[in-house]
Amino acid sequence: MSDETMSARDVIMQRLKAKKSPQEGAHPLPPVVTLGDQDASPERFEASLALMGGKMLPLQDGEGIEQAIKRAFPELRNLCTAVPEVEGTLRIEDLETHEQADKVDVMVVRAAFGVAETGGVFLSEVELKDHLADVHLAQHLIVLLSKNELVGNMHNAYQERSEFRTAGYGVLMSGPSATADIQGVLIRGAQGVRSLSVIWA
Amino acid sequence: MSNKPVPHAKLAAEFLKDEPHRHFHDERLWDMRQKRDEQMHIMPEWQELREQASRLKEHTLAHLPQYLEQFEENARRNGIHVHWARDGAEHNRIVEQILKDHGHSSIIKSKSMITDECEMREYLEPKGISVTETDLGERIQQLDNELPSHVVVPAVQKLTTDVAKTFAKYYHTDPDIDDPHALAEAQRNAARPVLLSGDTGMTGGNFLVAETGSFVVCTNEGNADLSANLPNLHIATLGIERLVPRMADLGVFIRLLSRSALGSPITQYTTHFRKPKKGGEMHVILVDNGRSERLGMDDFWTSLKCIRCGACMNTCPVYRRSGGQSYGSVYSGPIGAIIDPTFNAKKFSTLPFASTMNGSCTNVCPVKIDIHEQLYKWRRVLAERHEIPFVKREIMKMAGRLLAQPAMYRLAISGTEVALKTMPRFALYNYLNPWGKHRELPHPVKETFHSWYKKNRLNKPKAQREETQA
Repeated sequence: MSDETMSARDVIMQRLKAKKSPQEGAHPLPPVVTLGDQDASPERFEASLALMGGKMLPLQDGEGIEQAIKRAFPELRNLCTAVPEVEGTLRIEDLETHEQADKVDVMVVRAAFGVAETGGVFLSEVELKDHLADVHLAQHLIVLLSKNELVGNMHNAYQERSEFRTAGYGVLMSGPSATADIQGVLIRGAQGVRSLSVIWA
Repeated sequence: MSNKPVPHAKLAAEFLKDEPHRHFHDERLWDMRQKRDEQMHIMPEWQELREQASRLKEHTLAHLPQYLEQFEENARRNGIHVHWARDGAEHNRIVEQILKDHGHSSIIKSKSMITDECEMREYLEPKGISVTETDLGERIQQLDNELPSHVVVPAVQKLTTDVAKTFAKYYHTDPDIDDPHALAEAQRNAARPVLLSGDTGMTGGNFLVAETGSFVVCTNEGNADLSANLPNLHIATLGIERLVPRMADLGVFIRLLSRSALGSPITQYTTHFRKPKKGGEMHVILVDNGRSERLGMDDFWTSLKCIRCGACMNTCPVYRRSGGQSYGSVYSGPIGAIIDPTFNAKKFSTLPFASTMNGSCTNVCPVKIDIHEQLYKWRRVLAERHEIPFVKREIMKMAGRLLAQPAMYRLAISGTEVALKTMPRFALYNYLNPWGKHRELPHPVKETFHSWYKKNRLNKPKAQREETQA
């Protein structure tokens, strides 16, 4: 068959199979490795989060989560919530258009887990109630995270957390959006959320 | 595409003319290299990670058909449409067809080198399909109608003042803004309405996972997650070499990627797409475009291990002092110099010569590509194919003859020593000696090793030699 009558897939496969190098037998599959520091402590998570430009929002004595958020954002008008712990001004499930989400000042979500090595928090369609873009349109993000849901490093994350195999969309957000594309100046708050704060809860 | 060899040295000389640009470019890239080093030094497992990454990539490349089939099967099962493109033109036609089928006409796009490689914007825009780059650096390059200068920081050759001028023209901001924050804010404000109204989202991707049929996109600005999720149609383009066998293998690569690129532990967003969103449609286009051919090249197939971190560019003294635009290609720097000739050996014949052979690129590469050795091998291949200019070729031939005949070489060397000692500067530093343009010629030595050996060692009795040694 000529290239014209074969599908692109078959042509590419045929080209790849016709190659003599690299030899299949010469490159066995290496076993899965778990390297480096596997400390999964909240302290390590906090230090990593700070390095990535994220913040911790510790609760003050007797203060609830919603109060802490209002304290951190005194100008707050639209507080959108994806968690039962916070009432907010609207629920994420009630967002009907992206334009509505574009006007959200603060979004509150719960992360499935966090990674101590990087200060990353995992969000999927489960936590976001299928509002995948809306979380990134909000101006600021508050993330609730349990100290019991921490993994040490990225090896641990991919090996231990089943979410990577079950989620359709899964993002590890490590701090807020950022850019250094103009003259190397690091800017926290590029096109996604301007800030990301974590509350132990 | 023009076939004329890229005049790298000439373009670099032009870039070097402006002192502020030259200085900033060099410093900025070196800073990224140093930040990478800091990360490396705090991780005792760094070299083991590199070794593992290299072996995983080599294994995958050696078994590519098997893993591609596995990826395709799993992705299809997840509800992803998988397409195959032999070359850039076929890729662009596939994108056009997908948009046509939906009656769509506007693409919001995050940064991807491979769509630049396919020259997708150039193909789609005359057909009435708008393509808006949403990554800040890539957007600046799009507005200025330039290729990316760097695989990670596309507009790294520009200063704030350059960006202010460009944005003033297109975004009607103040042309005298000298604050990068204000310019980044201008991009955010300009991009939001475009993002909200775009009907098709496009991303590239860093990894394809065969085991789960997922793909991973590593970014910082948040524009990729917006571009992919806002519209109901998401198209992702990836090269066929982007595969890893298992989800667990990502641990190795994610730990290396951003540390090697920018010196940050991870990108702000590490996004895993496994199936279309609720009510959405997802397409993955797997592009060959010369990769299967490169895989068959004994000396060059390992260049396909590349994870596009840009560490080789940041460390390269030639790249840092010539700027990405001087390479005339989507891929610049050392990695560009070894993969570009596989796309067009004549056009990119000058690039493997843009190296001092110091080997730093090889040392920083997170997947252990022997970049400087491949640069050397390309020089040989290009010389054999007569793809290097007449003067360089003739000088090489003369040098070859000279080096092959010891007596003549020695005569020439003693002549050179005399010349270096006695000739006036204007005779040594002129247009016939481009090497001496920005450099001093070596100081002449008093005595060559050969003449010393002849005097002290040759034909002398062993005892006498040992005496001199002691």
